[in-house]
Amino acid sequence: MSRSTFRQRVPVLPYLLIAPTVFFVALFTVWPTALAIYQSLFRQRLNIAKYREPTFIGLQNYVDLFTNDDFRTVIVNTAIYVLGTVPISILLGFILALLLNRQIRGLGLWRLAFFYPNVLPMVSVATIWMFFLTPDYGLFNTALQFLGYRGPQNWTANPDLALLSIMIVAIWKNAGYYMLFYLAGLQNLPTDVFEAAALDGASWWQQLWHLTFPLLRRTTLFISTIAFISAFQTVDHIFVLTQGGPSTASTTLLYWLWQVRFEYQDVGRAAALTVILIVVLLAFTVTNFLLSERQEDRYGY
Amino acid sequence: MRRLAGVLVLVLAVVVAACAPQATPTPEPTQPPAPTQPPAPTQPPEPTPTPTPEPVTIQVYYPVAVDAPIAQILQGYADKFKEKYPHITVEPVFSGGYGDVKTTIQTTVEGGGTPPALAVMLAVDLYDLVNADLIVPLDEYLNAMPDKDAYLNDFIPAFLENSYYDGQIWSIPFQRSVVTLYYNKDLFAEAGLEPPDSWESWAEAASKLTLREGDDVVRWGLLYPSGWPYWLFQPLAIGNGRNIVGDDPTEVYFNDPRVIEAVQFYIDLSKEYKAMPEGVQAVWGQAPSDFASGAAAMIMHSSGSLAGILKQANFEVGVMAVPGKNPGTFATVPGGGNLYILKGAPKEQRDAAWEFIKFLTQPELVADFSINTGYIATRQAAYETAAMQEHFQQVPQAAEIRDFLQYAGKEFAVQNLGEVRNIFHKYLQAAYNGEMTPEEAMQKAQEEAEKALEPFK
Repeated sequence: MSRSTFRQRVPVLPYLLIAPTVFFVALFTVWPTALAIYQSLFRQRLNIAKYREPTFIGLQNYVDLFTNDDFRTVIVNTAIYVLGTVPISILLGFILALLLNRQIRGLGLWRLAFFYPNVLPMVSVATIWMFFLTPDYGLFNTALQFLGYRGPQNWTANPDLALLSIMIVAIWKNAGYYMLFYLAGLQNLPTDVFEAAALDGASWWQQLWHLTFPLLRRTTLFISTIAFISAFQTVDHIFVLTQGGPSTASTTLLYWLWQVRFEYQDVGRAAALTVILIVVLLAFTVTNFLLSERQEDRYGY
Repeated sequence: MRRLAGVLVLVLAVVVAACAPQATPTPEPTQPPAPTQPPAPTQPPEPTPTPTPEPVTIQVYYPVAVDAPIAQILQGYADKFKEKYPHITVEPVFSGGYGDVKTTIQTTVEGGGTPPALAVMLAVDLYDLVNADLIVPLDEYLNAMPDKDAYLNDFIPAFLENSYYDGQIWSIPFQRSVVTLYYNKDLFAEAGLEPPDSWESWAEAASKLTLREGDDVVRWGLLYPSGWPYWLFQPLAIGNGRNIVGDDPTEVYFNDPRVIEAVQFYIDLSKEYKAMPEGVQAVWGQAPSDFASGAAAMIMHSSGSLAGILKQANFEVGVMAVPGKNPGTFATVPGGGNLYILKGAPKEQRDAAWEFIKFLTQPELVADFSINTGYIATRQAAYETAAMQEHFQQVPQAAEIRDFLQYAGKEFAVQNLGEVRNIFHKYLQAAYNGEMTPEEAMQKAQEEAEKALEPFK
């Protein structure tokens, strides 16, 4: 071999530096994903003696899922939950950040008030809301009645309200968290742009729409990604408040996945659901980044 | 740079070591040779009639499902046990709710770990636990008892019903409860009402005791929680002559006309008699305090809530079985947890666990446990103890609950329980909420349940 082949030494340090990350990603992300894909091709039911050992059944678990009425309900519930909670809590977070990004009396206290729900664990939040939502004398119902609400009060047991009630809890908990990111984003905005706009006579609304929004796009991208993922991943409040009911009115994908795995002991179907969940999350995250990259080009940043 | 790389390798090594599989959650006792025993290999073994047993440590996973200091009580029993059996150490491990205990053990075993030797799990989990090969039958231990028949026959039959499967016995009743109808005796006396003895007299009493001010309800005649509905529903079906479950663990009777009629009666209590809130009532947690504060004249609940209710209520509390459809008939259903020995635990731990089960089910301890927790004493002999007799003087309701256990039917235990129960819940709640008629709902429930039970036929 000629010496020239070895003239460029293979750099060791970069590989060494990323080695821990690669190791952990492989151990905690790639390996479980591969395992889920593999298991989803088998029939394995731990509470049925003859199906306890896995048998290869190809895509049957997926076929079963897509012809299952409960699965359809669960997908619809999840879509409503995600599309209902994510945009509203982000918008609320943004509005709160705008309101609290100025000099007002008791600023720290206000920020704390809106942020504190996020410090609480979801189980505590849900337990607090269980008392709020109590029919007749719960705080939430009392407040609504004061405002003139005369509808049903059994929020967590009513088929039309159960999903809504867990959505309200999630929005209440998350809006303050997103507010924090927007506050940080707002405080890092360049002031000169706004001064120039003000000089040019741009109204508050024009500044918000043409400057604040576009400048905060990266923040929004980040928040929408974590909000979307957390909307799929949060089930604690469902366990506490509704247990997915009444009937299946508030069963979301991850809650059902838990039921299938631990109540039905259906390992294969649970693995198939896991794969579906991963695909959805991956698709969203990738799309989100691609779209935002395209916008970067358009804005010329 | 070389130093940096060295440090990195070191860090990596530490990280990898930290991720290495942990020791099993149940550490095996290291079994040090007892200092009193001479070293074995050099000397010929001397025949000793009672060899000092090797020390052994077992864990008991238990849930807390009632408002009682279960943790302290169990630790107290473990300490007492240690005095009698110095070589066995029992460590009670609080593991959440019933579901959590089962899930923890399952995941431990699936992950290749060693489960605890003993666990308190729902009596109705029997089939799932046997099918998943998680537990051992207790016949071998029972057969070794000189007084096996006397021991088993002393348990209240309703509580032992969910211990048998496949001709073997798999669990011993431990913390058991029963569906109870609580009624406010003062309100009944005020209204000149007798305790109900049929669906009709029950519904009429509930209707009469419902108090309205304009459109607002000040007091409900009855609160009937249905957020997790099968358990409290069962007495209605049994009281109409058809339990939802048969003798065989693959038989369900959701679409039997008598069961459908029972669903209709639940709906009538709100729609016709206006005696309770409409639809599904997610009020399990609040019902006892609503009853104790006078916001409800009657509630359906667990016997386990008796102590809490008596503590809060400033009126005379009545307890009774659930009225059946025909006058003079009553029904109820048992619930709660049994003691199971887990297969994955080493033999010496399982043997020790059985000793602890025997210890826990002595009449004196059964009585003590019942008095301190509100669970029902599972053995007849416990009721003969002085402590229990004294308790009955103070809390006559406890004796009444024991007496109406005679009306108990079989709790809903079937193969593939999680799935079948979910199916039943789904359609029962749909009927309660008026999304389907009782006939339609129970028909669908039967079809889906039969599909879920197919692999067992």
